[in-house]
Formats: sequence, C-alpha cells, structure tokens
Amino acid sequence: MSKRYHPTQPWNWFLKRPAYVKFMVRELTAVAIGLYLIYLLRVLATVGNGEAAFVELAGAMTGTRARLLHVLALAAALFHSVTWFNLTPKAMPMYRGEQRLADPLVAFGMGYLPWIVVTILIFWGVCA
Amino acid sequence: MSKSNEALWWSLFSAGGVLAALAVPALVLSTGFLVATSDPSVAAERYAQLQSVLGWRIVQLAMFVVVSLSFFHCAHRIRHTLMDLGVRGVPLLLMVTCYGGALAGTVAAAVILVKF
Amino acid sequence: MAEETTIQLDIFRYHPEKDEQPYFQSYDVPYKEDWVVLDAINWIKDNVDGSLSYRWSCRMGVCGSCGMMVNGEPKLTCAAFLKDYYPKAIRVEPLENFTVERDLVITMDDFMAKLESVKPYIVRDDVDDTSGGEYEQTPAQLAQYKQYSMCINCMLCYSACPVVGHDPEFVGPAALALGHRYNKDSRDQDTGERMEKMMEHEAVWGCTFVGECTEVCPKHVDPAGAIQQAKAAAAQYYFKKLIMPKGAGR
Repeated sequence: MSKRYHPTQPWNWFLKRPAYVKFMVRELTAVAIGLYLIYLLRVLATVGNGEAAFVELAGAMTGTRARLLHVLALAAALFHSVTWFNLTPKAMPMYRGEQRLADPLVAFGMGYLPWIVVTILIFWGVCA
Repeated sequence: MSKSNEALWWSLFSAGGVLAALAVPALVLSTGFLVATSDPSVAAERYAQLQSVLGWRIVQLAMFVVVSLSFFHCAHRIRHTLMDLGVRGVPLLLMVTCYGGALAGTVAAAVILVKF
Repeated sequence: MAEETTIQLDIFRYHPEKDEQPYFQSYDVPYKEDWVVLDAINWIKDNVDGSLSYRWSCRMGVCGSCGMMVNGEPKLTCAAFLKDYYPKAIRVEPLENFTVERDLVITMDDFMAKLESVKPYIVRDDVDDTSGGEYEQTPAQLAQYKQYSMCINCMLCYSACPVVGHDPEFVGPAALALGHRYNKDSRDQDTGERMEKMMEHEAVWGCTFVGECTEVCPKHVDPAGAIQQAKAAAAQYYFKKLIMPKGAGR
C-alpha cells in the first residue's frame, strides 16, 4: 500500500470562505445574546429592589457605554433572528399535496409574522 | 459509535433559538431605549408598569421560559462553536461548563421572577 | 497564421512513490469558448503529460466522478467552463478534506462506508411477499423524498463541509441526506434501525448547519435541509423512546 497525502484543516478555516465567516458570526451571536440575557436578569432584579434603585439604573443605562452595548446586542439579536427564520423553511418544509410551499412564505408564516406579534406584545407590556 | 443524548440538547437549542429569535430583539430595544431614561418621572412610570406586568404569573412564566431556553440555546451553540474551533479533547468539560452555565441562568431567572 | 489563445492551468501533482510533498505543475492549454475544465485536463493528458491521474466518466454532470477543487471551490470539472475563468489561470486541486492517493485522485473508501452505514435501502419488517403486487406510492408521497434521491455521490458536499475537514468520522452531508431519503420514503417501514444509526454522535449531531454543502451541490439535493429535518425526526424518536421504550419502533 503506497503512502498517501493527508491534508489537514488550518486552524483559521473559518476565514477561508465568506460563507464560513458568515457562519461563525452567526454562531457568535450566541455569546452576545447570552451576555445580554445576564444583563436582562440584572435589570429584572433591580425592578424588584424598589423604585429608587430602578430610577438610578434607568438613568445609568442612558450612558454611551450602555447604548453601545445595546446596539451591539441588537445587531447580534437581529442577525440571529433573520438567519434563524430564513433557515426555518429548510428545516421544516411544508407541502400542499405534491407542491412544496415556497421558502419565503414559510419563513414569513413561521417566523417573521410571529416575530411582529411578539415584538408588539413586549413593547405593550413595557409601555402600556 | 456512542449512543447519544445529543437529541435532548439539540431540542433545547432549537426551542431556545425560536424564542430568542422572537423575543430578544424587542427585549434589547425595551431595556436599551424604553427603560433607559434620564427623566425620573418616565422612569417611575416604567417602574410601575413593570411592577404591575411582572406580577402576572403568566408573564413570569413566559419570561422564565424565554430566558431559560435562550440560555440553553446559547450554551449549545457556544459548545459546538468551541468544538468547531478546535477544543475537542474535553467533551464532558464543555458540556458541564456550557449547560451548567445555562442551568445557573435558569435558576437565577426563577429566583428573580418568582419574587414579583 | 494566428496564434492560438491559451489559458494556464496550475494542477496539483502528487506521486506517492517519489514525492515527499505535493507540488503544482503549470500547463498552457488551448482556450476554447465551449470547453470545460475537464476538456482542458483531458487535453493535457492526451497531448502533454500522460502521467496526470484523475477520475472522470460521463462528462455531463450525472456520474459524479470528476469532482475537484477549481480555484478553491468544489466543482464538477465537466460543469466548470473555461470561459468563466479566462484569462486568469485556473488552479485545480483534488477535493478538499480527502486523503490524496495520487495527483487529483482522492481516497473514497471512507465515503463509501459512510453511505452504507445509513442503510440506504427500503427496510421493512413484514415478510417479503410480492403476491400483492408492487408497493404503491402517490405523487404526494414521492414528493416527500424525491429531492433527496437525486444525489450522484460526487462528494462536493464533503469538500464544502468544514466539519468533515476537522472530523473525519463525521458521516457527512450526502450519506445523511441519503438516510433521510429512505426515512421519508413511504415504502420504508421505519423500524428504527436506520434512525438508531443516524442518531449516533457522528451522524446527524455532528452537523452545525453551516449550509455550504447545499450551496455546492450540483443536483440541488439540499443536504443541509435534509440533515436538519433528520435531526428533528431523531429528536422525536428520542423522546418517544424515552416515554415508550418498547413502542418507539413504529
């Protein structure tokens, strides 16, 4: 048996194709979202600590650093949402007889539409 | 090849992914731009509103489910990303760290929400 | 007399009997508007360098033999037109993520074993009885799996998948899509044997849904979609088994 050439994957494989970069960014949204969730729990905990503590936190959250972190968290959350909803039709194809329903239709019905409803519900819960 | 309980973690990841996709953008906008205010009277209004709405068991339950499953979603994704990036010799350590973290977040969420 | 236009091909060479490392060899090939990379490689072998080794067969995109990396992208060389690269040089390499035997020829034994491992045939637990005639299937039932049956085993998806790159044990896109094809076939009786194979650690759970396999597939099989659907089916099976350990086979 003659010898063979065994290529190895470079450590920076995720930089080798634009699609791989996009994949890695998508996966890393989990870090941003995870950190935001910890922050959210802190905000919720403050709501339970009396009005004065809450008003102070609300004021602190208008600072540049807090705004910047929120913008980053929002970017990550949006990228997660959009990539997730767009992939949903691939993971859950829907058929009407022989016809497979078009991906954008499924993405809208199973993703974007509920997203709008939940968003409205949350804003209403915070502001009503 | 080993029998795998991966189906369980994947299911949590999947459910958490849907909930995070649906709820997190609005939550970020809420904390970042609705709750955040330097006007004390607006803050007082928000406080009263949040106190009221978080008092409903259904809202507590919804928040708990969203936060907990989203933590498990993040944990699973982080675990697999670390594996994709080369951290491969320590499968059990990764699971304990990632899912343990999600569990800690779940407990914290329960403790915080049940007080309302 | 007009000079014939040429295009340069830089081709990966490796001879296990004499080379420590692979190297690239450049060839100037006549440029024809309607030629594909495979035509250029065949011209090299016929006219310049008979030692060049590679696989090919139908030259029309149905046999799956001629897959190679063309400028870093996994392609069927019978479907990659010179005119899409001209006048730049074309780099031709063996399919990524595979062991190389010689020049552009990769070792595909692992791949064949992976295909076999998903039990790619109708599995039934009733006695083989053809007295009732053939198994019937409606067009709607066919539509459930037809797309996943179009795979030509060209292995481009294995080259595109970074998981295959760092985990040679990963069963991989084509094999998992093939398993899913049989799971969705109404004639298969879902006895659980295939599902058990597909639920192993290196089977569907190795996939992180990068999705590049689907992008490079020349037959639009969408293996990424198939694998996600297989994960959902596997999760369902897992929970059913948890709740009803004896009954989950159906």
